[in-house]
Amino acid sequence: MAARRVRDVALYLVFIAVIMVLPLFVEDYALNQVARFLVYGILGVAIALSWGYAGILNLGQGLFFGLGAYMMAMSLKLASNTSLQQGSDKPVPDFMLWNAEPGAKTDLCCISKASFLWIPFQSQWFGLAMAIVVPVAIAALAGSIMFRNRISGVFVSIMTLAMVLLVRLLIIDAQPVTNGFNGLTDLGFFKIGDFVLDNYGLPLYYIVAAVLALTLLLTRLLVETRAGLILQATREDANRCLYLGFDVPMYQTFFFCVSAAIAGVAGLLYANVAQFASPTFMDLSFSISMVVWAAVGGRNSLLGACLGAILIHLLEDAMSKTPALVESWKAIIGLVFVLSVLFMPKGIAGLASDFGDFLARRLPRPRRTGLTADPPQVARESKS
Amino acid sequence: MAEVFFIGLSVGSILLLVALGLAITYGAMGVINMAHGEMVMVGAYTTVMARIYLKLGLLASIPLAFIVTALLGLLIERVIVRRLYRRLLDTLLATWGVALLIQQAVRLEFGLSLIGIHIPGLGAGLQNVQVPEWLVGSTHVFGVEINAYRGFIILVTIAMTFVTWLIMYKSPIGMQVRAIMRNPKMAAACGINVERVNALTFAYGSGLAGIAGVMMSGFKTVFPDMGTPMVVDGFLVVVVGGLGSLFGTVAAAGLLGQLNGVTASLANDSLARAAVFAAVIVVIVLRPKGLFSYKGR
Amino acid sequence: MSVNRRSFLKTTAGGVAAVAGAPLFSRTALAADTIDVGVLFSLTGGLSIIEKSLSDATLMAIAEINASGGVMGKQIHAISEDGASDPKTYNEKASKLVIQDKLATVFGSYTSASRKAVLPVFEKRNAMYFYPTYYEGYECSRNVVYTGAVPNQQLSNFIPWIIKTLGKKTFFIVGSNYIYPREMAKVCKILIEKNGAKWVADEYLELGDSEWGSMVNKIKNSGADVVLSNVVGDSVVAFYREFKNQGFTHDKLPICATVTSEIEIAAMGAEYAAGSYTSFPYFQAIDTPENKSFIERYRTYVKDPHAVTHHALCSAYFQVFLWKQAVEKAKATTADAIREGVRGQEFLSPGGAVKIEPENLHTWLTPRIAQWQPDGQGKIVDAYPAPIFPLPYSAYGETESNLFCTPKGVDPSKLKG
Repeated sequence: MAARRVRDVALYLVFIAVIMVLPLFVEDYALNQVARFLVYGILGVAIALSWGYAGILNLGQGLFFGLGAYMMAMSLKLASNTSLQQGSDKPVPDFMLWNAEPGAKTDLCCISKASFLWIPFQSQWFGLAMAIVVPVAIAALAGSIMFRNRISGVFVSIMTLAMVLLVRLLIIDAQPVTNGFNGLTDLGFFKIGDFVLDNYGLPLYYIVAAVLALTLLLTRLLVETRAGLILQATREDANRCLYLGFDVPMYQTFFFCVSAAIAGVAGLLYANVAQFASPTFMDLSFSISMVVWAAVGGRNSLLGACLGAILIHLLEDAMSKTPALVESWKAIIGLVFVLSVLFMPKGIAGLASDFGDFLARRLPRPRRTGLTADPPQVARESKS
Repeated sequence: MAEVFFIGLSVGSILLLVALGLAITYGAMGVINMAHGEMVMVGAYTTVMARIYLKLGLLASIPLAFIVTALLGLLIERVIVRRLYRRLLDTLLATWGVALLIQQAVRLEFGLSLIGIHIPGLGAGLQNVQVPEWLVGSTHVFGVEINAYRGFIILVTIAMTFVTWLIMYKSPIGMQVRAIMRNPKMAAACGINVERVNALTFAYGSGLAGIAGVMMSGFKTVFPDMGTPMVVDGFLVVVVGGLGSLFGTVAAAGLLGQLNGVTASLANDSLARAAVFAAVIVVIVLRPKGLFSYKGR
Repeated sequence: MSVNRRSFLKTTAGGVAAVAGAPLFSRTALAADTIDVGVLFSLTGGLSIIEKSLSDATLMAIAEINASGGVMGKQIHAISEDGASDPKTYNEKASKLVIQDKLATVFGSYTSASRKAVLPVFEKRNAMYFYPTYYEGYECSRNVVYTGAVPNQQLSNFIPWIIKTLGKKTFFIVGSNYIYPREMAKVCKILIEKNGAKWVADEYLELGDSEWGSMVNKIKNSGADVVLSNVVGDSVVAFYREFKNQGFTHDKLPICATVTSEIEIAAMGAEYAAGSYTSFPYFQAIDTPENKSFIERYRTYVKDPHAVTHHALCSAYFQVFLWKQAVEKAKATTADAIREGVRGQEFLSPGGAVKIEPENLHTWLTPRIAQWQPDGQGKIVDAYPAPIFPLPYSAYGETESNLFCTPKGVDPSKLKG
């Protein structure tokens, strides 16, 4: 077991080192692309936590990602130059002008019915905070209702699916406040003091990479705590856990919220990297493709899901360069997905782990005397 | 007012059309078939192709589509679903992948469009379906103006539900299906060939989707992506109705359909959709196993 | 460092593409014997139904220009990317074309969502985007050349014609739930009231939703005698079908549409649309030698004898020629050169003469109205004799003598007034 942990730590460190060193080899557009992939990687970690560790198949993860992106984008929109050119000395988003109530003052307080909701977003740090607080709040509410009522399995999935579709509908409908279908575009940059985070620049890339590294490490530490172990026990058999006296709904809700927070962070980073937020973030197909990334990479492995997300996007990017393959990309990903669910249920990480075990067994081991026995080889279903 | 009720009934019947097959496969087998929407799409395309190549009309396409999609369902069950009986939640994922494959197969005309060959009736574009003359327009029934095609859909739905009920509750194989629903291991112990019955059940559910596709093609646009929103609606209905309960599925479809119709008439269609989603959430929270369910599995 | 070598190569190889006073971020095509341009449309996904045809038309125009000698003696090399019907992907690909491939010109986009998603890339890096689709107006970017119709070119002929020639006075406005139909509805209301008629409803259906039962029922009970449809996408087919199924006929209660094109007519079946009207600057039915030849060549190019042509497709085609003329006039391929060179350019397109308005980079187009026939073809029932001035802010009171969008940008103080 110790060997396995050492191996995992080593893999994490190698991965982190790679993403930190990458800017030496790529720049500008390609760096921005990699930053986007890293954000998807963070999403992969969120899914692995929720699905692999907690056993909650969240088909609406796009909800938390999208909300995080929107909260951040609202602040960034108010910071953009065009918002200051709308005929008022306070920033007003341009789309509000053409959705304005007739005769309304050009000010956030009153230009349309709910535009006052934008006022606190003039502070970027407020937007950043909301990007985490709002998804967590919704997850806490939804989670406590779902898990206290002992809803499980496919019903949780259907509920999360209904939730993401509902919020997507509401956002598109609230055009005066959210710009509806077009989403929030033409954003400014995040400013730390005088320092501007250009989305093609190095500082933003390093922030994304650092956040991904921290997310991986902290989540990994989290699942190794007592709470994390209990969570994995609930995934295996929730009833048994209940009978053993654990407050299963509380653990499930807590980790559901952590997963939502991670997705929210991914969303706010994405708004910075891609410079827009759109209701398409809450499309059903996007939410389900997140699950695909985790399935291919390894749902039980945080690093695996992260790598799965990055790998699939790298593949997609490579294939979009050839015209014939562009058309068949979706078919290929469908095939990959079916094959991986059928034959590789633990994903690439599972394959790698099995291969690693296979190698480890082949390596010569130092002979032990009878004094310290080898730890019993318990068949572990899940990889930490 | 009667018109609003009729529209609600019609929306409900369309929901039921799609959800019926899903209720069978999910209720009977616990298999979450995300490719169900694509089965509907295949049924619709069968209608298109039947008109182009076999010169068959809408009505004649119904049995044809049933056979085509039932065979497709059988294939999927044999090749993919059979391996996943121990990991039922994974059937959701695997069938989603299958759905993508079927969608792309139609869009890329089975790969032939990549090498420049076009098959009329397939491909990425919108397809045209001819509706028989006597189904166009509306008629008056008891003083209420009834849209002929929608009325026809309601009749077909009722027929399909009735036939399904007959098979499930009045035939030997239906009894076997219900036995498997209660407890597959005991059913096997009693000598039921669980594998064969499951395969037939999946095929039947897919066949129902094919018929739904034929009906859809008459008034919805036929294009490769048409199936995805349907499987979402179908699942919402099945889950709200309750596992394994045919009556529950019918009730849920009727309820959600009326909710949609009434909200759309009073407010607008966006709110109607939102109301349906909200209702699903509320029902699952209040009755986690659905409106009508039973103990089993 | 290699700065010296890089700048040396630039001056010798990129001699023709001289950068005269261009700002820091301007990009030029470095290759000596080809000029690179980007083509960005959705080749996969739900929107590919229409956008693939736009991509084909663009590539056909490029092939025709290359066959007749290219631009300034150089062949055009098109770099094609797939927007995948997703604004996220559009944003990524636009970044790739402009930042990595360093292209100064990209032809692309169909939906406003995709255009808005890519706009910041073009504005921040100063490249030119040629946008061929009719849209809602309310935009004035110096980095976009708009070759599709704006609301005043589709509606300022349509509404008065409906009121005067068809004699309809009560409008039911229906559209899909997003910005284009909403802005079009605004312009409709202004024109309806100005011409002495009234509108009784302004309703929306979600994009992609095809359940029209309640909406058509509302139309029935509203007392309207004409439906002004801004419905977009695959909902259109279901709408027309439901309309007929509920017993309406287009002679008593016609659907007058701004988006229903040849593609939707082919899909729904001509009997459902027969008698209804659409307003576009271009129809496949236009009976001129230029148009007939264009349709022939297009069908040969895409190897489909039944392919239909429509307004955005025609714009996607002729905008490449306008770009070519701009480059030849400016004798450079930088964004600034193209922007100045394209102002005032004229071309004889399959839909008649077109001209780029120097003030706002939109296009003079000839408004036309067609009635759909039982055979699926349109019959032009009304056409202006000449193209008209494009006014992207007509809903807010813009007129030819009071322009909101000028080369200096949009004047926000006018928007409030």
